[in-house]
Amino acid sequence: MLALEGLTKHFGGVQALQDLNLKVSKGSIMGLIGPNGSGKSTTVNLICGVFGITRGRILFDGEDISRVPTHLRLSQGIARTFQNIRLFGQLTVWQNLWVAQNAPEQKHGEPFLRRWFGGSRRAQAQVQGLLEFAGLAHKAQEQASNLSFGEQRRLELARALASQPKLLLLDEPAAGMNMEEINDLKQRVLALRAEGKTILLVEHVMELVMGVTDQIAVLDFGRKIAQGSPAEVQQNPQVREAYLGTQAR
Amino acid sequence: MSDYLIGVLSNIGMIAFLALSAYVLLVTGSISFGQQAYFAISAYGSGIATAMWGWPLWLGMLWGAALAGLAAALVAVPTARLHGLYFAVATLAFAEMVRLLLQMLTWQIDVDGTLIGPMGSEGFREIRYIYAHDISAVQFMLLIYGLLGLVVGGLTLMERTRLGLALRMIGEDEIPAEALGVNVAACKIFAAALSGIIAGIGGALYAHLITYIEPALFNVMLGVHGLAYGLIGGLGTAVGPLLGVVLDIGFLESVRAFAGYRMIVFGGLVALLLIVRPRGLLDEVTVHRIVRRLIRSDHVAH
Ligand SMILES: Nc1ncnc2c1ncn2[C@@H]1O[C@H](COP(=O)(O)OP(=O)(O)O)[C@@H](O)[C@H]1O
Ligand SMILES: [Mg+2]
Repeated sequence: MLALEGLTKHFGGVQALQDLNLKVSKGSIMGLIGPNGSGKSTTVNLICGVFGITRGRILFDGEDISRVPTHLRLSQGIARTFQNIRLFGQLTVWQNLWVAQNAPEQKHGEPFLRRWFGGSRRAQAQVQGLLEFAGLAHKAQEQASNLSFGEQRRLELARALASQPKLLLLDEPAAGMNMEEINDLKQRVLALRAEGKTILLVEHVMELVMGVTDQIAVLDFGRKIAQGSPAEVQQNPQVREAYLGTQAR
Repeated sequence: MSDYLIGVLSNIGMIAFLALSAYVLLVTGSISFGQQAYFAISAYGSGIATAMWGWPLWLGMLWGAALAGLAAALVAVPTARLHGLYFAVATLAFAEMVRLLLQMLTWQIDVDGTLIGPMGSEGFREIRYIYAHDISAVQFMLLIYGLLGLVVGGLTLMERTRLGLALRMIGEDEIPAEALGVNVAACKIFAAALSGIIAGIGGALYAHLITYIEPALFNVMLGVHGLAYGLIGGLGTAVGPLLGVVLDIGFLESVRAFAGYRMIVFGGLVALLLIVRPRGLLDEVTVHRIVRRLIRSDHVAH
């Protein structure tokens, strides 16, 4: 489904990502781990087009999307969350989800007024479903900036799902969460996987990564140093040294 | 209604268009110091159309506003990628360029035995359409407020659409907006064109009410006021900038006690508000609260 070929990104002299090759197959969850500054977020940003690539290619469903404009990547089926939550704080919870829908009304030929002003019945029903998924139905008309941290994380995840993406990029979704919230997130990710979504999960929290991923790739200083099943990666001495070593102690 | 009151109300109405034009860009996250340019372009354009070419007022205004919108869209193409101070300086530079070009514009033609047209820095006299057609001050004031109502109503409706929300999304944070499928560059050009048209309507009304315009009128202070009205009144609704204009022209300018000190009071007010309420009196939080209360009392009433 997703294939990164020799993906490279330089910021001036900083080599944020070096020659990354990675394949994520349909319906699987790929974990992407590595120390801070190893290029994980950069990878996500390249896939959804926030940065232009220095070298290499991004293939999505066999198509080269490296030059597809950023705003069109959503309609290709790629959605994401941000490491530091980036909701639209002035907008209501409902609006945050409604605007993220990838304009479903256009596709269903609804009348103009409904399309532009409250959304089609189908769009409204879908937003309602997302609100329930996020456990925020009772806060639909609240401004997003008034939500608690955990609620904001859930809203951002729901927002990423609003466009019904094929590929979901989650950039450290568990950052700042307590154990209870992490377990809740784990259940949600497993539920998404059961639905057949393909996910690239960037994460620091080992409980989450080890519990839900099929494969894990490890980055260090912008290079992939290992890839394999969670068990294999945990055993890999290079990985332990670069990354797990500090946590295993 | 006294002539004085009509004059003040007409002024408030016309300047409100400038404030609304700056507001559209503020909502989209851009601070423009150059909206006076579109006010000027349309003032000249519509004046030329009615006074020199003999066009009817509605067509002259349409033409002026269209010119202003087109100019704004053209400026937006290269400046859409600029942010903050860079955008502010670019818009200011454009507006100053327009003002200097208008100072050089001398083009007069013979209309019924008198020479009429812009005379460089001496200005453009005899834009006499409303006097020649016996439009009274009250009628013209009603025209101003009719158009203002249309613009405010249109903006309020637009803000509830996906397009309107997209502008606010861009204003808050461009990167997630783009990740959610918003064509940021196209939306910014749209917002600029809309802001140009709105300023243009005000400029055309202004030229015809005061019948004499000169480039010096459209200096940066005019743009700064237009910008400040939204920042004072609030960015949560299109009514905010109107509140800003009413506070300044309706209150500060009209109250004798402030005579001579108006600019000081105004500047102090802007500075104070930017500190305590950075998004103005009617900011998003307040507007949201008011709307929710209205919805709730609506439910109770039914
Ligand atoms: N916009 C940027 N400009 C310059 N350098 C950047 C930018 N984004 C990331 N970097 C650099 O790229 C490297 C990788 O960063 P990042 O991908 O954010 O790491 P992480 O694995 O923690 O997500 C770091 O050295 C970081 O400083
Ligand atoms: Mg990161």
